[in-house]
Amino acid sequence: MKINSLAKLGGVALVTGLILAGCGSKSSQSKKQEISWMTPSPIATMDTSKMTDLYSAQVANGTNEGLLRIAKDNKVNPGVAKSYSVSKDGLTWTFNLRHSKWSNGDPVTAKDFVFSWQRTVNPKTASQYAYIFANVKNADKISSGKMAVSKLGVKAEGNYKFVVSLSKPQSYFKYMVTQPEFFPQNPKTVAKYGSSFATNATKNSYNGPFILKGWNGTNDTWTLTKNKNYWDAKSVKVKDVKFQAVKTPSTALNSYNSGKLDFTTLSGTLAANNKKNKDYTVYPQASTSYMEFNTKKIPALRNTNIRKAMALAIDKKQMVNKVMQGGDITPKGFVPADMAKRSGKDFANEAYVKAGTDYNLKEAKALFAKGMKQVGKKSLSLTLLGADDDDTKRATEFVQSQLTKLPGLKVTNQNIPFKSKLTRAQNQQFDLVLSAWIADYPDPSNFLDLMTSDNPQNDGKWSNKQYDALMKKSETTDANNESARWSDMVQAEKLLMNQQGLVPLYQQGQAALIKPSVKGVQPFPTSPQYDWAKAYVK
Amino acid sequence: MAKYLGKRIFYIILTLFIVSTITFFLMKLMPGTPLTNQAKLTPTQIHQIYKQYGLDKPVWQQYLVYLGGIIHGNFGTSFQFSNQPVSYLITSRLGPSLIIGGQGMVLGVLAGLIVGAVGAIRANTWVDTSATIISILFISIPSFVLAVLLQYYLGLKLRLFPIADWGGFMYTVLPTLALAASPLAETARFMRTEMVDVLSSDYIELAKAKGLNKVGIIYHHALRNSLIPVVTIIGPLAVNIMTGSMVVENIFSIPGIGEQFVKSILTNDYPTIMGLTIVYSAMLCVVLLITDIVYGLIDPRIRINK
Repeated sequence: MKINSLAKLGGVALVTGLILAGCGSKSSQSKKQEISWMTPSPIATMDTSKMTDLYSAQVANGTNEGLLRIAKDNKVNPGVAKSYSVSKDGLTWTFNLRHSKWSNGDPVTAKDFVFSWQRTVNPKTASQYAYIFANVKNADKISSGKMAVSKLGVKAEGNYKFVVSLSKPQSYFKYMVTQPEFFPQNPKTVAKYGSSFATNATKNSYNGPFILKGWNGTNDTWTLTKNKNYWDAKSVKVKDVKFQAVKTPSTALNSYNSGKLDFTTLSGTLAANNKKNKDYTVYPQASTSYMEFNTKKIPALRNTNIRKAMALAIDKKQMVNKVMQGGDITPKGFVPADMAKRSGKDFANEAYVKAGTDYNLKEAKALFAKGMKQVGKKSLSLTLLGADDDDTKRATEFVQSQLTKLPGLKVTNQNIPFKSKLTRAQNQQFDLVLSAWIADYPDPSNFLDLMTSDNPQNDGKWSNKQYDALMKKSETTDANNESARWSDMVQAEKLLMNQQGLVPLYQQGQAALIKPSVKGVQPFPTSPQYDWAKAYVK
Repeated sequence: MAKYLGKRIFYIILTLFIVSTITFFLMKLMPGTPLTNQAKLTPTQIHQIYKQYGLDKPVWQQYLVYLGGIIHGNFGTSFQFSNQPVSYLITSRLGPSLIIGGQGMVLGVLAGLIVGAVGAIRANTWVDTSATIISILFISIPSFVLAVLLQYYLGLKLRLFPIADWGGFMYTVLPTLALAASPLAETARFMRTEMVDVLSSDYIELAKAKGLNKVGIIYHHALRNSLIPVVTIIGPLAVNIMTGSMVVENIFSIPGIGEQFVKSILTNDYPTIMGLTIVYSAMLCVVLLITDIVYGLIDPRIRINK
C-alpha cells in the first residue's frame, strides 16, 4: 500500500509550497513603463476583416492604424494619412498617405488599403462587419456576390494616394476609417499565412503604435509592446501594456487590490461598493439600453398616449442608482450623451426632450387611462422580453414593477438567452423588449437610423413618416451641409422622443478602477474604447 | 486482457459516436445563431454568411459533412475564434484543465481515504465527528463558493498564493484545493461507511483473535477490502471535477477548456461544442475503463483473465 507514503509526499509538497510562496512574494514599486490591463474577454481574432467584438478591436487599435486615428472629443487625428480632402459633392474622399512601415519593414501603401477593403467585402471572407462598407461604391453588390470584388469604389493612385468613391455622401466617413475594418492589411503577410493569417501574434504584421506579443491564438494573456517602426514612435512612452483576460469580476477586483493589475472594469454591486474608492472612474459609453414597443403585433401600442404613459411610469433615476448600480447614467434620449458633438455642443443636449425620459406617475396614469379609452380597452396584458444575464434580469424586473403601477396594465417577464432574444426581437415575436445598441461610430445617425420604418433593426416596427423624411433629408439633400444635417437629426430625435417610439432606460457607463500612476490612457465612448498610444506611468 | 481491452475500446468508440450524434442534433435545436455580430446584421446578411459557412443546408446534410470531417481528423474551425481550428483550441487549452483536474482528483481521493479511514478506526469519537463534519461541509459548499473564499483569504489577505492567472505550480494550488473538496468529502463518507463495516466483520475479529497488532490488521485486511467499493465512485467523481472545473477555471482565470465549453454553448459555436463534447466524453470513458481495470487489481475475485 502506497497511500501513506504518498500522503507524506503530499504533505511535504504542501509545506514546501507554503514556504516557497513566502519567498516568492515581492513588493517592488518601480516606475517601469509597463501597464497591467484587465480585459473581460480574450482576443477572438486579429484579422481585421473578421473582427466583430470590442475587445479584439481594442487590441487592433493598439497594434494597427487606419487612415485616421480616433481622438478625444469627437475629433480625428492623422493616421497613415497625413491629410485628406473631400470633393464638393461629398462622394470622393482622397487620402494622402505618409511614408510609414509595417513591423516587418515593408512600406505601408495605398495598395494595402485597397487589398484590405476588398478582402473584407469579398463574400468569400464572410465578414460579419462587411455591412459597415455599405456606403462605399458597389460594396453591397459585391458582398452579396453580384459583382466582382475589383469593382469596389477604392483605388490606389501610386503608392501614397488612396481614393474612395462613396455611393452617397457620408459626412461621418472620417470616423468610419478609424475603425479596424478599415485598417490596411499587408498583402504579403496575408498571402504567406493564408487561412491561418492573424490567428496568433506572429502570423501578422502591424503598423500601429504597438506590436502584439505572447498571444498564441487562444490564451488569456498577451502584451502590446512599443513598435519601433511606427511613424510616431517617439511619442509612444509606454513600453509594454500587459493584458490579462479575467472573466470573473471579483477575481479582477482582488487582483487589482493586490497590485497585480493597474486597471480593472467593475460591474453591478462591485461598482456600487467601490464608488468611494479614489481610483474609481466612469467612462460613458455610446450605448443606450431601451425598451421597444411591438406596434405591429399589439394595436394598443400604436397609441401614442399609451406609449408615453408607459415611458413616464418608469423612474429612470431610480433604475440607474438603485437597480443597475454600475456606472450607468440616466439617459437624455436615444442618442447617448457625450458621443456626438458639433462646435462644442452635445447632440444629446440639443435634442433633449424632457418628457421623453422623465418620470411622472400621476401624468402617466392619466395618459394611460386616456389612451386606453381611445383604443377601447379596459386592460392590457403584455410580455416583457429580455436577455437572461444578471443585469438585464434586474432591469426587466424593475421595469415590470414600474409598469404594473398603471391600472389595467399587466406585465409578465420572459428572460431568455441573449441570442434567442435577438432572434425573437428581429422576428417581432414579443410585446415589449429590452434592447441595447452600441455605436460603431460617433454620429447620431448610427442610432437614429435604427428607427426608420424600413430598417431591419427596427424591431417594434414603429413608423413615422415625418421621422423617415427627416432622416432621408439628412442623408440626401442635407448630406453635405453639416449644420442642416445636424438640425435634421436633432428634429428627428425630438420627434422620436415626443412620439415615444421607444423608451430610453439608461445610458451605459463603464465603471472602472485605474491606478493614479497610470496617465494618458485615452477613453472613447465608441469602439475601441481605450487608446494607450499616449499612456505612461508616473 | 487484450481481448477485453479491444472490446472496451470498441464500445468507447460506439459511445462517442452516439453521444456526438445526439449532441449534434440537440445543438441544432438551440435557438440563436453562431454569429458573434447578430445584433447588427439584417436577416439577408445573416443568410449570406450562413451560406459561406454551409449552415444554410439541411441539418442532416450538415451532419454528414461533419462526420466526414471527423473521419479525416478535422473538427472544423471555431466561430468565436475566427479561423482557429477547434483541434488547436482544445489542445492549447486542455493542459491546464488536466493539471488542476488531475491534481484535484488525486488530492481529494487520497485525503478522503485518510479522513474516512481515520474516522472509521476512531468511530464514534470526536475524531470521527470532526471527520464527518468536514465531509458534510465540503459536500454542501459548492466549489465556486469555496474558490472565492480561498481566493480572498489565502490569495488576497494572506498573500500565500497567487490570486489568479497561470504560470507554475503555485498557481495551481488554490484551484486544486477548490476542486478537491467535493471528491474528498465523497470519498471520506464512502470510505468511513465501508471501513466501519469491514472492521466489524468476522475475519477482522479472527485476525484480532490471532493476536495480530492493530496496525497490521488495518493495513493488511481492512484498508484493502474497504477500497473496492470506493473505486466505483471514481467515475462519478471525475464527472464532478469536470463540471466543477468549468466554474473554478473562470474564477482563477485559468486558460483551460471548461470555461470554453460553457462559452461555446452560449455563443452557438457549433464546431467547438462538438469537439469538446467528444473530448469530455472520451475522457470520461477512459476514466471508467481505468477504474474497471484498477478494480480487478484490487479485488482478485473480479480480475479479468479472459
